[in-house]
Amino acid sequence: MTDQTNVMPEKEGFFSGFGKALVKGDLFVKLSLIWWGAGYIRRKQYVKAFIMTALEVAVILFTVGFAMKYVPKFSTLGTVKAEKVFNMQTMKSEFNDYDHSFKILLFSLISFVVWITAVVVCIVNVKNVYRLQLMEENGVHINTFKEDLISYKEEKFYITLLTLPVLGVVVFTLIPILLLIFVAFTNYDQQHMPPSSLFTWVGFSNFLSLFGGGGLTVTFGYAFVRVLGWTLVWAFFSTVTTYIGGILLSLLLNSKKTRVPKLWRTLFMVTIAVPQFVSLLLVRNFFANNGIVNSICDGIGLTGFLRDIGMISTTYIPFLSAPGWAHVMIILINIWIGVPYQMLIATGVLLNLPADQLESARVDGAKPFQIFVKITMPYMLFVTGPALITDFVKNINNFNVIYLLTQDVYVTTNQAMANSQAKEVDLLVTWLFRLTQEYYNYKMASAIGIIVFIICSVFTLIAFNYMIKGDKEGTYQ
Amino acid sequence: MKKRFMSLLLSAAVMATGVLTGCGSDSGESDANTNNNASNSSAQQSSDNNAGTGGSGETVNMVLWGAEEDQDLLKNLVEKFEAAYPDQKFNIQIGVESESTAMDTILTDVEAAADVFAFASDQLPQLVNAGALANLNEVGEALSLAGKTLDDVKSANMDTAVEAATLNDTLYAFPMAGDNSYFMYYDSSVVSEKDVENWDSLLKAAKKGGKKVGMTLASGWYAASFFYGAGFTTALNEDSTTSIDWNGTSADGYKGTDVVKAMLKISGDPAFLAFADGQSSNVLTSGDVCAVISGTWDAVTAQKVFGDNYAAVKLPTYTIGKKQVQMAPAYGYKFMGVNAYSENAGWATLLADFLTNEESQVERFQKRAIGPTNKNALAMDEISNNEAIMAVTSQAEFGVLQMVGGKYWDPVKTLGEVIAQGGLSESDEAGIQKALDTLVEGVTAPVN
Repeated sequence: MTDQTNVMPEKEGFFSGFGKALVKGDLFVKLSLIWWGAGYIRRKQYVKAFIMTALEVAVILFTVGFAMKYVPKFSTLGTVKAEKVFNMQTMKSEFNDYDHSFKILLFSLISFVVWITAVVVCIVNVKNVYRLQLMEENGVHINTFKEDLISYKEEKFYITLLTLPVLGVVVFTLIPILLLIFVAFTNYDQQHMPPSSLFTWVGFSNFLSLFGGGGLTVTFGYAFVRVLGWTLVWAFFSTVTTYIGGILLSLLLNSKKTRVPKLWRTLFMVTIAVPQFVSLLLVRNFFANNGIVNSICDGIGLTGFLRDIGMISTTYIPFLSAPGWAHVMIILINIWIGVPYQMLIATGVLLNLPADQLESARVDGAKPFQIFVKITMPYMLFVTGPALITDFVKNINNFNVIYLLTQDVYVTTNQAMANSQAKEVDLLVTWLFRLTQEYYNYKMASAIGIIVFIICSVFTLIAFNYMIKGDKEGTYQ
Repeated sequence: MKKRFMSLLLSAAVMATGVLTGCGSDSGESDANTNNNASNSSAQQSSDNNAGTGGSGETVNMVLWGAEEDQDLLKNLVEKFEAAYPDQKFNIQIGVESESTAMDTILTDVEAAADVFAFASDQLPQLVNAGALANLNEVGEALSLAGKTLDDVKSANMDTAVEAATLNDTLYAFPMAGDNSYFMYYDSSVVSEKDVENWDSLLKAAKKGGKKVGMTLASGWYAASFFYGAGFTTALNEDSTTSIDWNGTSADGYKGTDVVKAMLKISGDPAFLAFADGQSSNVLTSGDVCAVISGTWDAVTAQKVFGDNYAAVKLPTYTIGKKQVQMAPAYGYKFMGVNAYSENAGWATLLADFLTNEESQVERFQKRAIGPTNKNALAMDEISNNEAIMAVTSQAEFGVLQMVGGKYWDPVKTLGEVIAQGGLSESDEAGIQKALDTLVEGVTAPVN
């Protein structure tokens, strides 16, 4: 078995190996292209031959029995509308054989995935049987089926381990994402909702209207730019504030002068222990226009003072209901929610601060602030850099905080925003959520989803490239 | 975020893999349906030729969705329904789905939604548009099993309710409850019966009593009452866009800017309290208000807060120039609808009718204090003595059935909020006109 690798040179392109196998292979190898089991039969590997044949039959059955019902309609996404007649005898409505655009889209997509997999399997199969041919010609031992099975428990164990996750990624991640991308190029919205209506391909028009190219309301592009702007501002500030706050807090708790640090730490952890939506909804009610905080502020005369100096024009402080106020409040509340997590991470990292460096710095007479800037922060940034990027991307998509704090409370007074169903405090995701949830605008939601995806991936790629580039690891010491 | 959308995709993907492993054994729902139908009809034709007794041999599976508070009531009514057709075996599941969110859930996947569901009347156009509601003219034939026709249903209920359930001359749902509107609760020890007649005297009396008058302005449902009162309209077009004339002059000769000015005058009064949609019971219990505009859902709270001085009355009038204009509330109903894709459309129709007939509506009032739409039920003493329900039904004559598309809500909500915050100046005619023009532009925008 160890000789196997010698027989077939490893450094060979996927397709060139396939071509070579086809050209140089014997009749049975060539036949394997049509009948997947042929090559194995020739080498007396009957179990494998059976499995491959069964697999091929399964693919053919799938194609004829399932895929062909949907894939031919893929170019139009269906043409037959649902119609029904009520039958008094059966007390049932009888439907025609109508097309369901979404099913056509989804099942075609699945068919494509299956077919691509089948092609790959077929190519690999031809190459495998060609290798068997070579092995036979060279008189190398060919594994029996049982030996093969055992090898998946031994040296090829990684394949066994990875099969399920890979399948999971394809089914639960790849197919939905591809579907999302497809929907962005259709007119799937409230006017075109299956099963009663059909939707179809519209090319790039959704992206055009997203960037103000007409079609949609004139304000959509206007709203998009503003929402995107706030999304990035929010992601930056929420990440940075909780990050710095977490480090400072953990430094404070780690300081030898702090009494009962465990008590403090536990108290801060309580915010994590309470489900986020509970605490956020409570906070939202505290800061509501006629909530308890406003009553207190009114009582101590703060509201009146702010009105006197012209900060507010209302009889309450619009903590979560006016732009500016709400933006700042959301970031502040997020600090309260997010700092404990960062504190936990920072505590772990700070415990590993190189003690010798701290010691020598102290001996050299460095002040605590200098130590913080020159040693602690660089070390923290080095260790938690990738996590920081993840946090940033997570905050771009931080649905909970924004939605729970502003839904039903924040009403925009910007008519142009309202005409596009957006608010000043919306992130792209919350806007996207309301577009799908309240307006069934799946096509625009998909288009926005793709944009969010691109923003996140571009940012991640750049940041990771910069942080983990080559010798970075060496420079810190 | 797009949780529901994704879960839909995921479940679809899971379903698809199920199909994959089954190797095309499942040939799609529509085929299965027709197969089913074919076998049923042959089985039935032999056994069941007299439709009067109803009932085929097999069990009828149905799902019914209703509000959480209605679950016990529905269970009770469903048992009665099953008892009414002893020859037919039923398996009726009752699920929880609030009337106000029914549309969202149903439109996510019509084919997987309940056979019969309760919903608020403002969702009807969108449900019809999406083809989710069965055309009752088509399936109404099934009512013959209950010994009535669709016309009996129409004549038994309030005309306005039937009108609300009708779109393009087609009845799409059974009227169930008729109190989906708002009126005024007040504390008669602070403001008198005379004071509540118009906003000017109301606010003056409230100020004198050191209390406030509360109303939601940032809502397309509440704010519209000022405009509807002055003769302005909204309408739903066939392509699901909304028509709105608020930036012009109404049939009654009022200008849209006059209405906004009147609203600004009210919202600028120190005795006026604008609160966010859904906050009415909090506002009531805070004890700051002597009058609040809300619906029957707050009846219990209002009774508790105002005690013996509890009273309910129609909406007040407001002043434009020297004239008094009666506010006209958006008037809504609760309906029972039949899913157009129901497998047992006939039985589902019968069930929906049963749940909304006179006896069921009376029981609904007795158990849940929900106002009926049935004429006979409304005439009963115990219902006509209920203050809140009478306040709301007294408005049915000038209430406006609000038919609007999805683009209506956000722009009007924003205008309401602008007015509530005093973001416009009463003297700024051009600014107000521009705001109304922007509003109209947003509301009338093409759908999607």
